[in-house]
Amino acid sequence: MIDAAHASWALLSRDLRAVARSRSQLYSSLLFPLMLLALLGTGVSSGLAPTSPRILDGDYTSYLAPGMIAMTALFSSTFSSAGFYRDRESGLLRAMLASPHSAQTILFGKALGSILIGTIQALVVLLLAVLIPGIDLSWQFGWLGGVATVVITILALNFMLSGLSLLLAVRIKTMQGFHLIMNLVLFPLFFLSGAFFPLDEVPAWLEAIGYINPLTYAVDLLHYSSYADSPDGLIGPLIDGLVLGGLALLLFAVGLRRAPRAV
Amino acid sequence: MPNSETDIADSPLPVQLSGASYIWQEKRGARDIDLSVRRSEVVTLLGPNGAGKSTILKMLSGEIAPQQGIVSIFGEPHGRDARRRIGLVLQEASTDDLMTVQETLQLHGQLFGLRGSELRRRCDQLLDALGLGDRTGDRCETLSGGLRRRLDIARALLHEPDLLLLDEPTLALDPDSSEAIWAALLDRVAAGVALVVCSNDTVEAETYAHRVVIVNDGRVVAEDTPRNLTSGLLPDALELDWPSATRDDIAELEGWTGVGTVLSTEDQLVLSVENSSEIVPQLFQRYGTQITGFRIRESSLREAWFQIVGRPLTNDHGAER
Repeated sequence: MIDAAHASWALLSRDLRAVARSRSQLYSSLLFPLMLLALLGTGVSSGLAPTSPRILDGDYTSYLAPGMIAMTALFSSTFSSAGFYRDRESGLLRAMLASPHSAQTILFGKALGSILIGTIQALVVLLLAVLIPGIDLSWQFGWLGGVATVVITILALNFMLSGLSLLLAVRIKTMQGFHLIMNLVLFPLFFLSGAFFPLDEVPAWLEAIGYINPLTYAVDLLHYSSYADSPDGLIGPLIDGLVLGGLALLLFAVGLRRAPRAV
Repeated sequence: MPNSETDIADSPLPVQLSGASYIWQEKRGARDIDLSVRRSEVVTLLGPNGAGKSTILKMLSGEIAPQQGIVSIFGEPHGRDARRRIGLVLQEASTDDLMTVQETLQLHGQLFGLRGSELRRRCDQLLDALGLGDRTGDRCETLSGGLRRRLDIARALLHEPDLLLLDEPTLALDPDSSEAIWAALLDRVAAGVALVVCSNDTVEAETYAHRVVIVNDGRVVAEDTPRNLTSGLLPDALELDWPSATRDDIAELEGWTGVGTVLSTEDQLVLSVENSSEIVPQLFQRYGTQITGFRIRESSLREAWFQIVGRPLTNDHGAER
């Protein structure tokens, strides 16, 4: 057990170092959501003057902030998961899997890296969102509980994405294929998660798709804990937590279970 | 040669394969492999790409379990304990460009339970031995192919394994790097480590292997010491640079007295001959204008391969797995 923890820590440290050295990945993961906040947020707030009661005072930038935090987690977790392919292509993964540890221990160590990187980067965007004067987060249940909920939500979201990445990595052998699938699946899911527009004001068919989308529950929980000034119109933490937590556990457990020794 | 063959015979068995088979979806693989390797023994699996050598190596390393038959490592089925005793070098250099030389070794050491001063000591010792002592802080992306290969070897030796599995360890390396790598490997062999090497390099097999296992189309077709494998051959090999040689020319040569096998490669013919000093004048008298160069050497595993398998040892049989 101690050996496995030690191995996971070694792999986690190595992945953190790799991201710190891969500056372009680091900057793009942070700059893209901030750019969207600045350009899309300001543009929609001023140009379209949204009147939905869910967008408080027509301030779309603030509405967008929780979604951008989720998007950062999504992007950086996906980028980090691509490291799995880099290690597979370089042969390093085979060398790691030849160690005495189980394939699950090795992939758990690697997954921890992408979870932690995704979480840290999302929290950096949260911090910047808090510091930007034009963004107004209500923290309706206090900032301490709100921040704790955001951290737990981001962690659960990253666990879920990491499990999904592991499952895909077993099936899809190339990095290009992985990115293609992630883009084809994740972008539509993200657009229909409530990150860009409230789901309760769209046509029923779109709303229905939104509610079977796991990302919706993460974005709802982020809105609930940081942005909204009342629970009205939101799904709520109980259902959000159950869906998100349940899926995170399920996908991560199944992803690890399917981990092959030969790659 | 690292040790005498008598010493080796008395050592226990790090590797035993009995009827082991693994067939990939595209029908390539290894069939019904029987193989045993002793301590302090260097065994070369010799064959072209796609022959099944790497599949055998993957069964030995535990990456794949045989679909039929048994693999036993130091008398036990494959598992965590076996992996702890194995050092693996893959066909391609397996390093991360963003990691330094030192970090690469440290990560590997940590995965094998090494820590602290012991890990540092072993890293320093191996990096010095393999000529990487002055590159410890450099990122792997700055290393040449030869240095990356040395790093792979250092990584495989770091946890002091009892069995080393090496897939083409010196492929495409300069002589200095090859020599440095073999020096480090033979040092471990002298200390009792068993080596299984996949290769299609007959010269290297003849130089370093105690035993050569000829693998073709997924099967072991011959297995013996290099000396025994070459003992039945005619003594000399005559390499002729002869791009215009036709099938009729080859057929004619095969009928000459004192000529054994005739191997035809792209621009060359290799004749196995009884006495080159008798054959060379005849050759130049008959074909002098067509032959642009020639070399005489002792017959080697290359000719033995041809005699056993019935075709030259080339790499045109598809991708290796």
